[in-house]
Amino acid sequence: MTKEKILEVRDLAITFKTSAGSVRAVRGVDLDLFKGETLAIVGESGSGKSVTTKAIMGILSNNGTIESGTILYTYEDKSEKVTKNLLDLSKKQMRKTINGKHIAMIFQDPMTSLDPTMSVGNQIIEGMRTHYNTKKKEAQEKAIELLRLVGITDPEARMKNYPHQLSGGMRQRIVIAIALACDPDVLICDEPTTALDVTIQAKILELIHDIQVKTGISVIYITHDLGVVAKVADYVNVMYAGKIVEKATVNEIFYEPKHPYTWGLLLAMPDLETNPDKLVSIPGNPPNMAHEMEGDPFYPRNPYALHIDKKKEPPLIKVSETHAAATWLLSEKGPEYSLPIELQQRIERMREEDRVYGTE
Amino acid sequence: MEQNREALLEVKGLKQYFKISRKFSVKAVDGVSFKIYPGETYGLVGESGSGKSTIGRSVIRLHEITDGEITFKEKDVSGKMDKETQKMLRTKMQMIFQDPMASLNPRKNVMDIIAQGLDIHGEAGSSSERSERVLQILERVGLSREFAGRFPSQFSGGQRQRIGIARALIMNPDLIIADEAISALDVSIQAQIVNLMKEIQEETNVAYLFIAHDLSMVRYISDRIGVLHLGHMIETGTTEEIFSNPVHPYTQSLLSAIPYPNPMIEKKRTALSYDYATSGLDYSEGSLQNVGGTHEVLGTEEEIANWLSENRMEDIVGIK
Repeated sequence: MTKEKILEVRDLAITFKTSAGSVRAVRGVDLDLFKGETLAIVGESGSGKSVTTKAIMGILSNNGTIESGTILYTYEDKSEKVTKNLLDLSKKQMRKTINGKHIAMIFQDPMTSLDPTMSVGNQIIEGMRTHYNTKKKEAQEKAIELLRLVGITDPEARMKNYPHQLSGGMRQRIVIAIALACDPDVLICDEPTTALDVTIQAKILELIHDIQVKTGISVIYITHDLGVVAKVADYVNVMYAGKIVEKATVNEIFYEPKHPYTWGLLLAMPDLETNPDKLVSIPGNPPNMAHEMEGDPFYPRNPYALHIDKKKEPPLIKVSETHAAATWLLSEKGPEYSLPIELQQRIERMREEDRVYGTE
Repeated sequence: MEQNREALLEVKGLKQYFKISRKFSVKAVDGVSFKIYPGETYGLVGESGSGKSTIGRSVIRLHEITDGEITFKEKDVSGKMDKETQKMLRTKMQMIFQDPMASLNPRKNVMDIIAQGLDIHGEAGSSSERSERVLQILERVGLSREFAGRFPSQFSGGQRQRIGIARALIMNPDLIIADEAISALDVSIQAQIVNLMKEIQEETNVAYLFIAHDLSMVRYISDRIGVLHLGHMIETGTTEEIFSNPVHPYTQSLLSAIPYPNPMIEKKRTALSYDYATSGLDYSEGSLQNVGGTHEVLGTEEEIANWLSENRMEDIVGIK
């Protein structure tokens, strides 16, 4: 089965001009998104994960410039396949043809992404009316249908509500309904559940998954929570300091992680059996992207760093068809190394659980 | 053994109502009781609106409490306090806030921020003593001595939270209230801060009231846990008791909502749901009842007997 590639980002580099000098937020990122699949981008704040997706949506703030790269987006227009470089389109063209209609986005805070002066129903209808000139009645019916899809009870009555009348979880459901109103092919979720409670988080994630099964859209998740990744992702890209340092399927990330930063992320999250004395944390702080860097930006925080890391940034080195990591540990001349002992134990525990629950 | 120890903090029947209008008031906390022993960590968990932050703020007297009794170091601190008690409360109980950006004065340098407690209570001594104490604390929380002259804006979130911890520590407190102290930080930094808090606890035997909604961290750091919902203490017990045998349906749904860091399993799970409105429960009807050890659950006898008879651990894990 050949998979249909929907989005292909190559060598994307973005710089922001700030009062503290220019900040190289994204430094050569490659992404691939296939139809019906979920890609998770993981990283700390400042790693460039949000900026990358904002570039895809064409909503970078004004002080940001795209230095290089292509974003190829393939979609069906009147049953013909069209591939476009989104970076060639003007902001106006993006608004008209891509945003909402083909690529939709959900933001972190459901309060600030809704218009407080407009009823929920009108906000859902708005996109359909502008993009497709849908008749008002039809649009209204579809909006009610969407509200039902996102699990809101009594949708007819809710259509007339204003955002402040709804709880946080409900608001995020409305935001999802708005995003889905124009039948997009790609849904970008920027930390969709960080502002919500755990119980509601689980429900929203399950909802997005259900919708994906029903409509076959592709989803990009931006998150720093590996628990969320485990729940939703097919593929994972780990970002650090504006670059992808490891890309793999979700199982490869959890069972055979290759990059020391990924190890750190996995260990920073306590699981059920974590030794209660100490969590293994990544030492130090994320780098300041305003400074020029020599060598691997992760070098100062990396207990597995080699001499070469100081001088030369490692490229992505392939491990398998789906798995690559940017660390010199994987190069032919790389030294012998073994995973941190705590991580080995954790992977052993996961395999044991899989045997117990028969999910192997 | 638990009962024989002298409690550091005892909260009895705490009620905190906020008056909205003449006729209507919000019952943020409605009769909550718990104890914290010296050197332990008590985790308060619950969703937003459950009253967990309000409890922290009431205990340290940021709110005037509506009803109830708070005893700290064997002194009543809930009503009007004499000068000595007030000073004891203000020094021996400290707080770390959620947002390290908002809780540090941007116009003061780190030295003055951390020394503020000493200055206010007249414990600073000579200026060289004062700066020596601040510098020691700075090193203790893993910051370099040179940082003392800098301002909060020059630090990252994790570093600022360390400054917040230093500010709390300099008074040698017996209890630190950490209100979502790590929620605003990146995952890798969260682990650093939690480790730091644990180390400090081992050295100084300080107790923590750890308020959070991230259950995996709460489980990791707490000795005992209290689960709050809609201003009521729903279930309390040791971490082991709560996590291995959650009895109340709300606790069960809360635990089942924690994403499980194993993709093979997590992909096949669905979380339990719980809705107070349709659950048929009335929190004000029941009372906290012991179900073994120090484990207590809120409910009527009948309800609890019901819950105990069914083992829902499989549903919580979510895989059959």
